[in-house]
Amino acid sequence: MPITYYKLPNGLRVILSPDSTAPTVVTAVYYRIGFRVEPKDRTGFAHLFEHMMFQGSQNLGKMEFIRLVQENGGVLNGSTRFDFTNYFELLPSNKLETALWAEADRMKGLAITEENLKNQQGVVGNEVKVNVLNQPYGGFPWLWMPQYANSNWYNSHNFYGDLKDIEAAKLDEVQAFFKTYYAPNNAALAVVGDFDPEQAKTMIAKYFGGIPSAKLPPTPDLTEPRQDKEKTASRKDPLANRPALAFAYHMPPRKSPEYYAMGLLDQMLLQGNDSLLYQELVKKHGFTGDVSGGINSDLGDMFDYDGPMLWTASLFHDAGVKPEQILSAVDTVVEGLQAKPVDQGLLDRSVTKMRSSLYDSMAQFGGFGRANLMACFALFDDDPTRINSLEADFRKVTPQVVERTAREYLRKTARTVLLIEPGAAASPAAAQEGPK
Amino acid sequence: MLFAMASTIFGGPKETPPQGPPPKPFKLPAPEDFTLPNGMQVTIVPYGIVPKLAVRAFVEAGAIDESGGQVWLSKLTASLMKEGTTTRSGEQVAREAAEMGGQLEVEAGSDFTSAGGVVLSDFGPKFITLLADVLANPALPAAELPRLKADLVRDLAIDRTEPQTLARERFLKTLFPDHPYGRTFPAESDLQGYAIGDAQAFYRNNFAAGRTHLYVAGKLEGDLRRAIQDAFSGWAQGSAAPDLPASPVKERSLQVIDRPGAAQSNLYMGLPVAAPASQDYITLGVMDSLLGGSFASRITSNIREQKGYTYSPNSQVSTRRRLAFWVQVADVTTAVTGPSLKEIFYEIDRLRKEPPSAKELTGIQNYLAGLFVLRNTISPDAIINQLHFVDSQGLDRSYLSTYVQKVMAVEPADIQRVTETYITPSKMTIVVVGDKAKIAEQLTPYQ
Repeated sequence: MPITYYKLPNGLRVILSPDSTAPTVVTAVYYRIGFRVEPKDRTGFAHLFEHMMFQGSQNLGKMEFIRLVQENGGVLNGSTRFDFTNYFELLPSNKLETALWAEADRMKGLAITEENLKNQQGVVGNEVKVNVLNQPYGGFPWLWMPQYANSNWYNSHNFYGDLKDIEAAKLDEVQAFFKTYYAPNNAALAVVGDFDPEQAKTMIAKYFGGIPSAKLPPTPDLTEPRQDKEKTASRKDPLANRPALAFAYHMPPRKSPEYYAMGLLDQMLLQGNDSLLYQELVKKHGFTGDVSGGINSDLGDMFDYDGPMLWTASLFHDAGVKPEQILSAVDTVVEGLQAKPVDQGLLDRSVTKMRSSLYDSMAQFGGFGRANLMACFALFDDDPTRINSLEADFRKVTPQVVERTAREYLRKTARTVLLIEPGAAASPAAAQEGPK
Repeated sequence: MLFAMASTIFGGPKETPPQGPPPKPFKLPAPEDFTLPNGMQVTIVPYGIVPKLAVRAFVEAGAIDESGGQVWLSKLTASLMKEGTTTRSGEQVAREAAEMGGQLEVEAGSDFTSAGGVVLSDFGPKFITLLADVLANPALPAAELPRLKADLVRDLAIDRTEPQTLARERFLKTLFPDHPYGRTFPAESDLQGYAIGDAQAFYRNNFAAGRTHLYVAGKLEGDLRRAIQDAFSGWAQGSAAPDLPASPVKERSLQVIDRPGAAQSNLYMGLPVAAPASQDYITLGVMDSLLGGSFASRITSNIREQKGYTYSPNSQVSTRRRLAFWVQVADVTTAVTGPSLKEIFYEIDRLRKEPPSAKELTGIQNYLAGLFVLRNTISPDAIINQLHFVDSQGLDRSYLSTYVQKVMAVEPADIQRVTETYITPSKMTIVVVGDKAKIAEQLTPYQ
């Protein structure tokens, strides 16, 4: 896969990857600021801030950015994750310059008002309500599990935000956050699709070259202590009517042999109906209809984060099945992987599944998936070409490494279990169901 | 005010965005179509350079084939079909698909059951063989029935806790009171009573080559045509799918489902509109994108970006076989339930009374023209979905090749006309799931 990687004098990391399959182009700007590192008295601030990036810049007033992309035949979005916030457009390929101009415009600064902020506080408040507060199992397990499994505030706070923190945000805090983190030397720009790299380079220099860099604050200590005792937490959910269970383990450090082995263990244990946990929990015991999860699940994958991370699995079950029964079945499966080197056939299958899923990531959403991986590797490792060596990294994993990884990282004492208990019978949903 | 603020910060006149060169021509990927002697239709579309292949069979078997006491029997049958064939166990099917880098999925919908998956291209012929075995020779094992039924009973209970699902259920029940399209949930007692014979009969009556269209799209490797002929030629033709046309209700009603203490009200409102085969269907799609179906649309600009009432408003033209209905959905803060409805109707009325400006319409037309390219390139499954829509609605394939031209030909007056003709507030079904005590008064004007 062709990749050109360079930095502008102001520090902006630029990744160009042409592909003429379709006359479309992805423009993606990644800032190295995620919700992990947000002000401690302002949970949810990084995400609220993301919304403010759509509220107006020097040459594009409120709604004008969105309209500009739409009127040119494209779609756009932004998202806030553990270690980055991204903004991207997928447009007809002749509109690359339009997208670069618009992204550069908002990298130069925000032109926003109190009224815009108040409006987006309302929108974000409603986002939290629709996804969490008014939804059965709303934060299960993606929002809640990190809060129990991690102990360092940066990894364990409510990153969607308490409504009162979201409502308390001030306009000068928004501007200060922009000034601190939204500088070209804290960002990567990825362009993927049908374009000419030389022309793109000229346009990128023209629109982004003059944006001044900034002095970046030091990264706080994000490390998690080694967990040596199993933790169990339970939450009442008044909107739920069936119990649910999730369990999580801590990931090995990125790019270590164990890290790649965990990627394959995830394929063996959890991905697909052939997986060991599906066969044990769903088919053999009938505890649940499905078991799902993964590394950085619901918010990304095993490649787009840079800090402590969890491998999480979750399922819904009936009241007649006790959590101990489920966990004991999980133990049986995990102990099988810890007892001896894994069967070569199972390992080979996990590599095939991984290879197939890597291809899906590359092609995902008109090349956005490829832009995502390359922008993250540029920001975290200063090397977007890592995307081309991932398959080889997984092929290096031996049965012995898998065994060693399972022994250390799938230790029962390193596990956190989260139980969801349905709330009192007075729940509105139960009333809907009527008599049985 | 916004402009004043911008000026104080940056000064100077605003730049206009660069337009870029004219668009590159876009040619739809060219499908190859053929029919097997047993009536199975096949479409193969070469696309892309990523070595993956999507293989999907759409069988005319779904909720539409269930009687009133059989709701979700199609889902149960689909689950059972994943549990093995006469020569392979369920685990073997799952394992073989995984060895090809994919999963074998069987999913029942309202009009069709889709079966297939996405695999590494080099395994295309092998996956086709596996899929044919699952479709033509499923074991439908009685031993798995209690477990699969228990899973569906659990799914049913959980689905019923989701407020948006409750709103949709009531909406569909109101639109289709005497038709399978209106039956979202089974009675739990019915579900508990389904016997293995019921699923086997459902399979026997509804799954056959003559009711199936197989689509293959992606990077093609090997002789797929030959593989399809070899794998599927032995499958019986069966009888044609029965026709069960629906006549959706077009009548104003307001229905409130009480959810005490709810932080939001879930709005689900709409009515039947012109079917996909109608001359007005494409115009309706343009109208919908302008009114509520896109980020920059009027309703979203109003209740999200101006008022902050909601995060996720959206409208769309939904289809079933040979019919369509328009819906606007929004999850709004409880205290502004009435004001949200007021603004939605305000925007509908405004478009009924006056045509949009040519500029606003052109923006939407360009958006849909661009979206068309994305829909036909973004993934092999997206390409399949486009073709399946056209084929299953009985449209000519030229629907796709002339779509952009037709979108661009829409005039402002056409938008006003279709809004006035179809989006009639006095004929709408309005469902609100929310805290009745807090919203009853706000809803009085909409009774």
